[in-house]
Amino acid sequence: MIKIVGITFQGVLRDKVFHGILLVAGLFLFIPSASAFSMRQVPQLAITLSLSLTSFLLLLLAVFLGGTSLWKDVERRYTHSVLGGTPISRASYVLGKYSGVSLFVMATAFLLGVLSLAAIWFAAMAYPPDRPLLWLNILIAVFFDALKYVLLVAVAFLLSTVSTSFFLPIFGTIATFLAGSATQNVYDYLQTPQGEQLSAGVKAAALFFYYMLPNFSAFDLKANAIYSLPLDPGGLLLTFAYAAVYIAILLSSASLLFTRRELQ
Amino acid sequence: MDAIELVDLTKIFPGKKGARVKALDHLDLRVPQGEVFGFLGPNGAGKSTTIKILMGLIRPTQGQARLLGTPATLPQARLTTGYLPENPAFYDYLNASEYLTFIGQSFKLDTTTIAARSETILHRLSLWEARKRPIRSYSKGMVQRLGIAQVLVHQPEIYILDEPMSGLDPIGRALVKEIILELKAAGKCVFFSTHITSDVEAVCDRVGVILKGKLQTVQEVGTLMEKGITGYHIRHRMPGQEIFKESTIRPEELQVFMTNIFQSGEEVILLEPLRKNLEAFFLSIVSQGSSNDQ
Ligand SMILES: Nc1ncnc2c1ncn2[C@@H]1O[C@H](COP(=O)(O)OP(=O)(O)O)[C@@H](O)[C@H]1O
Ligand SMILES: [Mg+2]
Repeated sequence: MIKIVGITFQGVLRDKVFHGILLVAGLFLFIPSASAFSMRQVPQLAITLSLSLTSFLLLLLAVFLGGTSLWKDVERRYTHSVLGGTPISRASYVLGKYSGVSLFVMATAFLLGVLSLAAIWFAAMAYPPDRPLLWLNILIAVFFDALKYVLLVAVAFLLSTVSTSFFLPIFGTIATFLAGSATQNVYDYLQTPQGEQLSAGVKAAALFFYYMLPNFSAFDLKANAIYSLPLDPGGLLLTFAYAAVYIAILLSSASLLFTRRELQ
Repeated sequence: MDAIELVDLTKIFPGKKGARVKALDHLDLRVPQGEVFGFLGPNGAGKSTTIKILMGLIRPTQGQARLLGTPATLPQARLTTGYLPENPAFYDYLNASEYLTFIGQSFKLDTTTIAARSETILHRLSLWEARKRPIRSYSKGMVQRLGIAQVLVHQPEIYILDEPMSGLDPIGRALVKEIILELKAAGKCVFFSTHITSDVEAVCDRVGVILKGKLQTVQEVGTLMEKGITGYHIRHRMPGQEIFKESTIRPEELQVFMTNIFQSGEEVILLEPLRKNLEAFFLSIVSQGSSNDQ
């Protein structure tokens, strides 16, 4: 399995998609000067921009790497020679590929986190903030954002194991991301007086999606980073455990489905 | 224990609009260790389907496949096997050297062994110059040769090759035949599919002919070649004479004819068996198989 992790990591590094995403990361250079345009709360704006850019790049990585890496191997029949010609099991293949992609997302998140800190530091030097910045909060926000995308990659893998086209893995992942980011808002709306008046069927459907789909808003710590609000360690731990359990379920299903799949 | 065991193997593919394609029809076959077996059949006969089941890539609708006694559905079955897929494709962002290393490591070989074997194999298959170039830049023939190379790194007991000569130039084809004969000399089992009869004639101990998913016949190539003799062509002359005579006789006439020649004091310059070759044998089976359908 470690071999598959290594091969996957190497594959991404040599991938054109990744090179394109690296180019976009060059935008970090402009964050300090762009933030200065706002005249007020420059460091806060720098944090917002950095975290958003990081999140956007990680989303691209998660969707494209997650949606295409396993699918491409099957489509190009690399899996024939590897799974037919070596004792590597299907489950190890899925887990190895997933670990490779996730490791890559995490490594990129670390790199972008460092770039973010540098951009924010420059902004804060030029325009000292009213409240001291909590650097650790910023890093933790980036980490949980990355964790969210690692979970999204698992969704993409599950979809890739059953699909023979890239359509389902790519668009299914995007749809899951959008829906998973919105379920918390929908759930909150259901608790309001207007929400109470909805028909029982709609409420049941909304609740069903709320519990089934991954709840991505739980991973959003932007506010804590931007306004230097204290973090709740218990909540963080719960979110982490939630991600771990959810990923485990997704990967077990993916391995099972891939083991049963016919590679024609 | 047989190297390869196929028992009552049947495969039905779900086709378009509910139509079902019966790709394999109750196929039984055993190939012992140390044998080179040619799996001969026209396009669409079911050769690749059989091989994919044998490598655990697809599951049979009915029946079993075993490699050295281990069910083909288990990853362990592939510990002692090397597989060359039909029109193979390998991670195109790696180079040949990296790919062989990856395969060697999957079989838990140590680094020095991998390096030593890779070097020999890459030289042998004329990939040494190209070993550091990404596979995506390789020609079809080079990819095919890499396919042969990756089967050899871990020195398995069984070699399953799906059309190993396809896409190769005459030099490459000769090389593959040479390698198969070496494996045979080393006591390994080689099972390869082809639709070209001369490939079988050159290297196989036995040949199985498959047609429309059914195994039509399994024959010893040696006996087949003997049985296939339809007559003899003989060139002979009286000693001291310039002009020679040519005679073509039926097999059963050989004894008498030769006796007569020696008694008359003639010398034999050339004796050539005329055979119905494997191709004719193959074609007769194919035409029989098709007419049986009507
Ligand atoms: N995935 C599939 N779906 C439907 N039919 C298939 C599939 N794969 C192979 N077949 C059919 O099974 C038969 C045998 O194919 P194959 O084993 O590839 O033949 P060969 O390798 O001898 O040329 C063919 O008729 C082919 O059309
Ligand atoms: Mg074939």
